[in-house]
Amino acid sequence: MKSEILYPGAFPMVRVELAAGENIKAESGAMVACSPTIDIESKMEGGFLGALSRKFLTGEKFFFQTLRASRGPGEALLAPTVPGEIAILELDGVNEYMVQKDGFLAGADTILIESQMQSMSRGLLGGEGFFILKISGKGMLVLNSFGAIHKIELKPNQEYIVDNSHLVAWSTTTSYNIEKATSGWVASFTSGEGFVCRFRGPGLVYIQSRNPGSFGAWIRQFIPVSE
Amino acid sequence: MTPNALCFGEEFPASGAACLVHVEEHGLTVTFAADTANAQPESVPFSNLTVSAGGIDHDHLVVKWKSVQGERTLYLKNPDVIRAFREAVPDHLDLPLAQVAERVRQVRHRRRLVWGIVGGAILSSVLGLWLGADLLVDIAVSRIPVEWEHKLGESAYRDFLSHQEVVKEGSGVVAVEEMTHRLTEQILNNPYNFQVTVVRSDIVNAFALPGGFVVVFTGLMKKAESGEEVAGVLSHELNHVLQRHGLERIVKNLGLLTVMAIVFGNQQGLVGVMKQLGVELLTLKFGREQETEADLTGLQLLQRAKIDPSGMIRFFERLSEKDEGRMEWLSTHPMSAARAERLKVELAALPKTLPEPFTFDWKQVQVSLRSQPVTVP
Ligand SMILES: [Zn+2]
Repeated sequence: MKSEILYPGAFPMVRVELAAGENIKAESGAMVACSPTIDIESKMEGGFLGALSRKFLTGEKFFFQTLRASRGPGEALLAPTVPGEIAILELDGVNEYMVQKDGFLAGADTILIESQMQSMSRGLLGGEGFFILKISGKGMLVLNSFGAIHKIELKPNQEYIVDNSHLVAWSTTTSYNIEKATSGWVASFTSGEGFVCRFRGPGLVYIQSRNPGSFGAWIRQFIPVSE
Repeated sequence: MTPNALCFGEEFPASGAACLVHVEEHGLTVTFAADTANAQPESVPFSNLTVSAGGIDHDHLVVKWKSVQGERTLYLKNPDVIRAFREAVPDHLDLPLAQVAERVRQVRHRRRLVWGIVGGAILSSVLGLWLGADLLVDIAVSRIPVEWEHKLGESAYRDFLSHQEVVKEGSGVVAVEEMTHRLTEQILNNPYNFQVTVVRSDIVNAFALPGGFVVVFTGLMKKAESGEEVAGVLSHELNHVLQRHGLERIVKNLGLLTVMAIVFGNQQGLVGVMKQLGVELLTLKFGREQETEADLTGLQLLQRAKIDPSGMIRFFERLSEKDEGRMEWLSTHPMSAARAERLKVELAALPKTLPEPFTFDWKQVQVSLRSQPVTVP
């Protein structure tokens, strides 16, 4: 399996080359184009309950798609719904990531996707939905963001504060607390909710340079309201 | 080699260096993947190690030591390695290790509980369609102990008051205390210890937080033509608390899952949520049905307290007319002529009682509100 980011920047695509018999998991709807040798299957990752709970609790798509090169080698072009960068991570079997529900674009078949419950208060306040995806295993993981992806590297015990709506993915070796932004921070963080995550290293935190919620609110003011 | 741990240190990448940890008789050996620059295998005796729990779910075993190259932090998750480590370590590490193991066990347990809740939520959504979601909200609300409600309201209340000028004395406060006393002594089996605070502000409004914390703004008192009008608003607000409208709202806003979490007994999570929801509570809007309920039960409470209920109706009527102060009240209390009309009909149906006037003179109270100097807290 080989992958490459085309048109890096705001409107990228990923080209994934699959050898005969190889397959890749993608967010349903991510497939833009593919070779005729590739079959698309919809699959319920994590079994029925897993899929149902994802759908039920995060509004996440019920199915992931599996693109399988069942009739010979081929390639597939994948793209996210929103404008923004794509990042490709290589998991080595010990690195694990938590991924915010909209941040997953695709992954090798050898990676494991688990819908994970966040602790009650975290999930509700984090604004990332009740479930986030826990990605482990070995192989390629493709993330997508709204805006640019920025990587924050944390040394052991190093701290960093991130507005929760800008989170894309973070290593499971990090830990974090959700805090209410004090009045002083509210102005400087764009989240209307005023909640931030205080991360502690070691590990990586990927953030997106735009906040989908704020963008939605900005767009809404231009939409005429019918009486 | 198949790595089973991540090692962090100055010269390693921030994502950690993949490594293979082997538990020996007297310590650990750590072998790094071939592509990790100049990382030599290390052997560390147990006596140099400290252990703790870490990671996003606190289910990693974190092992630290000082090597010649500097500080090393190892994140282990592989159950086999952790088991081998537990069996081999000497006593001084045993206690923290047991704590880690306990923590991991708790995380797993919580996860199981959580899946129980998810199952319950799915089941209840089916039930909810059948019985109506409001019933579930009611069940959930009824399971929330008053003490929580108190804690929840109190934190929001303190937060709010810390930014406000509280009127601590004077005839305005005395008058509000008298109203509160007259009303609350008529409440049977009252689980709440009502606290009513007068806050200096031109806002024409009053609000109640879950747990019995009520704020009356001086703007409302200046606008009211009689004590009975203020008492009417107060009675309305007290009944928002008594009917647990705030809690119903929270539960509705937080959704079915929280409702189920409460019903199924995972109440810890909610406390955390509640603590931080404080600010949002202050902007909580009640629904139309809740307003009507607070109006009607408020009217009945006035009646029992022998406070002339026509004051409440009069106040509502005046607010629904054009008035510079009506906006604030309207922002939290959608007002319509129909609302006052309904109260009139309701009042006509109640048995007539002879109202007992308050002991204060309302005109004097209003004068004192106007003239009271700004007190330094
Ligand atoms: Zn009300």
